[in-house]
Amino acid sequence: MQKLVPSVIALALGVALAGCQDQGPKREKVEINKNPYPSTYKAYSSSSTLIKNATVLTGTGERLDNTDVLLVDGKVKELGQNLTAAADVTIDAAGKWVTPGIIDVHSHLGAYPSPQVESHQDGNEMTSPNTAEVWVEHSVWPQDPGFNRAREGGITTLQILPGSANLFGGRGVTLKNIPSPTMQGMKFPDAPYGLKMACGENPKRVYGGKSVLPSTRMGNMAGYRAAWAEATEYKRAWEEYEAAYAKGLNPEAPKRDIKLDTLRGVLDGEVLIHNHCYKAEEMAMMIDLSKEFGYHAGTFHHGIEAYKIADQLAENGSCAALWPDWWGFKMEAYDMVQENVAIVDAPKNSCSVVHSDSDTTIQRLNQEAGKVMFRANENGFALKEEDAIKWITYNAAKSLGVSDKVGSLAPGKNADVVIWNQSPFSVYAKAETVFIDGAKVYDRFDEKYQAVSDFMLGQK
Amino acid sequence: MKKMTLSTLALVMGAGFSASALAQSIAITNATVHTAGELGVLKSASIVLNDGKIVAINPATVEADTVIDAQGQVVTPGLISSMNQLGLVEVGAVARSRDAGDDKAGIDFDPSSAFNPLSTLVPYARKGGITQDIVTPYGGDSIFAGLASVVDLTGEFDSVTATKKALVVKLGAESKGSRAMSFKTLVEKLEGQQTKLDKQKAEKKKDEKKDDKPSVEEQVLTDVLAGKLPMVAYSNRASDLIHLLKIKADFNLNLVLWGANDAVLVADKIAAAKVPVIMSAMENLPGDFDSMHAHLENAGKLEKAGVKVLLTVGGDASHNMYQMRFDAGNAVSNGMSYDGAIKSMTANVAEVFGINGGKVAVGQKADVVLWSGDPLELSSSVVKMFINGKEVSTESRHDKLRDRYMKKSDMPVAYTK
Repeated sequence: MQKLVPSVIALALGVALAGCQDQGPKREKVEINKNPYPSTYKAYSSSSTLIKNATVLTGTGERLDNTDVLLVDGKVKELGQNLTAAADVTIDAAGKWVTPGIIDVHSHLGAYPSPQVESHQDGNEMTSPNTAEVWVEHSVWPQDPGFNRAREGGITTLQILPGSANLFGGRGVTLKNIPSPTMQGMKFPDAPYGLKMACGENPKRVYGGKSVLPSTRMGNMAGYRAAWAEATEYKRAWEEYEAAYAKGLNPEAPKRDIKLDTLRGVLDGEVLIHNHCYKAEEMAMMIDLSKEFGYHAGTFHHGIEAYKIADQLAENGSCAALWPDWWGFKMEAYDMVQENVAIVDAPKNSCSVVHSDSDTTIQRLNQEAGKVMFRANENGFALKEEDAIKWITYNAAKSLGVSDKVGSLAPGKNADVVIWNQSPFSVYAKAETVFIDGAKVYDRFDEKYQAVSDFMLGQK
Repeated sequence: MKKMTLSTLALVMGAGFSASALAQSIAITNATVHTAGELGVLKSASIVLNDGKIVAINPATVEADTVIDAQGQVVTPGLISSMNQLGLVEVGAVARSRDAGDDKAGIDFDPSSAFNPLSTLVPYARKGGITQDIVTPYGGDSIFAGLASVVDLTGEFDSVTATKKALVVKLGAESKGSRAMSFKTLVEKLEGQQTKLDKQKAEKKKDEKKDDKPSVEEQVLTDVLAGKLPMVAYSNRASDLIHLLKIKADFNLNLVLWGANDAVLVADKIAAAKVPVIMSAMENLPGDFDSMHAHLENAGKLEKAGVKVLLTVGGDASHNMYQMRFDAGNAVSNGMSYDGAIKSMTANVAEVFGINGGKVAVGQKADVVLWSGDPLELSSSVVKMFINGKEVSTESRHDKLRDRYMKKSDMPVAYTK
C-alpha cells in the first residue's frame, strides 16, 4: 500500500492547483477516451429466416409450443403460431427446441486458450494485488479453438475475465462468439466493461506468499478499501477539474492514471463489478464495501455459499453466477450444494446465473443448467425448462448489462438464436443451428458453417 | 432422503421376520436390467441378492426377505470409477488432507494404507451410482506414480478390497526434459528386472535353495513382466501410444493406455494389440500438441475400431466422479453404443483390473443400482443402491447443508441439524 500514498499526495496537490490556476493562455480541455479499442464487429450477412413449429423458450420465463420465430435484418421480428411471412429461408423445427443464444458470464477463452502452453498464459497479471489497469481484451487470442467448440454448444455471447489472483484483476470484456482475426472484431458493441475483483483464498495466497499485502482476508478488505478511497479522490479531482473548466476557469487537469480510470468507471456506474467470491460472509462484506464507497457490488462469481444469503443477494440486486456442482478443490469451495442456483433463484428480484469458468463446460451450459433443475426438483422445487433457461440467457445478459440486446427472444431483440435437436436440458441435446444477429454461424449438418481456427488448420 | 429412510426401516423390519438377520436376501422385480454381460438387457426381469452376491436372475419364483418392485425402471451393475484419488484427498488445496502423492513415490508406492472411508467424497460419489473405485496414486517425481487399489464405496473401514492392482506410469509431454528419457527409464526398469529374473532362473537351476525375498518394487516389476499386473500408462500423443505398443510387445506386458487423446489415429493398432483405453469422453480441445485430435466422438470411434474403452472423469475426478454417467451419456450422444457406454463404466473396468463386479450375473458381487430413469440422463437419479447386497444411502453432507438452509425454523439455521 506504500505505493498508493505518494499518488494520493500528488492528487491532493493537483486538486489544490486546479482551483487557482485560472490565468494564462486557455488550456485545451483534457478528455479521456473511454473507448480507445472500439468494436469493429459487423454482423455476417444474413438472410431472413423463418423457424417453424418449434418449442420456444423465450429466456424470460415463457415456453411457447408449436411456435414460429421470424428473424429479419439481424433482429427477432416476430414470434407466434402459423406465421405466414415470406422469408429467404424456412426451417422446419417440428420436434426441436429454440432458445436465445447461450451466454457465459465467466470465461477465460482467448486469455487462457488451448493449447495451454507457456506462451499463452495471458489471463492473469499476477505482479501486484491491484492490477485494475490491465484490460483482458489485450490478451485475447481470437484463434483459440475453444471459441469454436463453445459456439457448437450454442454460446453466442461470452465475457472474458482476467484471473482471480488479484484483489482487482483488471477489466473484463464481453465478446460476440464470432470468428474474427481480431479481438475488436468480436467485441460486443456498446457492452459495458466489467471489473474483476476477487475475494478469499487466491489473492491472499498469491501475494501473502510474496510477503505483500494481502496475506489474510482482513488484508484483502484493507486492500479494496485503500483502492476505493484513492479512486474516490481521483474521481473528485476530475470532477472538480471538469466543473472548473465548465465555469470558464483555466484549471490544470489531474494526472491521468489508467488503473484509477477503471475504478472511477465503477464509481460512475459505467463499469460493472464481477466479483470472484465464494463465501457467504465475504459476499456480505463486499456488499457493505460497495455501499461504503457508493457503487454497485455487481455479480458474485463462483458463490459456492450464495444459498446461505440468497435473500440478501436478491435485495441488493446482485446476480450470482454459479456452477451446478464444482466443489472441494479448496476450503472456500467445500460447502457446495447442488441446488445452489435454484435456491438463489427463488427470492423475488433474484438473478441466478449458471456460468462455466471452463473451456469444456462452456460447451454444455445447457446441461449444467439441467443438472441444477433436476436435482432441485428432487428436493422440493418445481422448476421447468422455461425457468432453467433464464440462468444461461436472460439473467446472464442482465449480469453483463446487455439484456436490452440479447438473452431473450422478443421482437426487436438481436437474433441470437439456437435450434436444439430436443430439450436442451437432456444429456443427448445438441445445438444444431446457431445464429448471431440473424446470421447462421454454425450448422451441425453443414461443414460450410463449421469454423476452424487457424491453429487447427493443416494439423495432422 | 425421506424415501431412503423409510425403505431402510422396511428392510430392518423385514430382517426381524426372516430366519437370519445377517444373511438378508433382497429381490428386485419388474426391472429393465442392463447386465453389462452375456445376458444383455433383460426386460421385466428379477434379480435376487443374498450373502453379498447376485444369486438368481429371473428365478421361477421370487423368494426374498425384501422384494422391491422396480416398476419397469432400470437396474445396472454398480458403476466403477477409476484414475482418481478418492479417500486420499478431502480438499484439493489443503495439503494435510492429501495423501495420493509424495515426491519420493515410485514403483512401490501404495497409498491404500492412507484411504479414508469417512471422506465426504465417498457418499457424494454414490450419487452417481458408483459402488467401486480404482484408487490411483498421483505419484511424485518419478514416472512411476505407484500402485492402484480397489475400494468399495460403503464408507466402512473395510473398504479397501484389493491392493496392488495396477502399476501406474506417467509418460508423454514433459515441461522439463524429454519424453524420451521417460521411455528410457521405463524400458531400463523392465529390462533390469527381466535380466535379474533370467539370472535367478539360471541360478535356481544350479541351487534350488537360493530364494532371496524380492523387494516390493522387484515383485511389482516381476508381476508386470509376467502380465499378471496391468501397467496403466498415461500419454496422449499417437507416436507415444505406438511406442508403448512396441514396449508391450517386447516385454509381453498387460498394457492399459490412459488419456490417449490422439488414440483415434492409431485405433486399429491398439485394437489389434488388444490394449484397453481409459479415457475421458469430454476431452475435445488441443490442451497441448499431444492432443490435437481430442474429440467428443473419440470414445465411439475407438469402440467401433474394437478397442475396449473404460470411461473416467477428467479434471478433478476425485470430487466429480459422480458425473461419470453424464459423460457416458455425452459419449452416446456422440456415437458410442449405449451398451458400450454402460460397459465402459462397469464390466470393462472390472475385467481390465481383474476385480469382481461390473456385471449383473449369478455369482457376481451384489453391487447394483436401481435408477429413476435412463442412468445416463441428467434427469435420472439413484433410487436405491446396494454394495455387497447391502443397501447404501446417497445422502451426503451436501444434502444436510441444503436442508439446513431450506428448512424454515424459528431458530437460527445453526440449530437445524
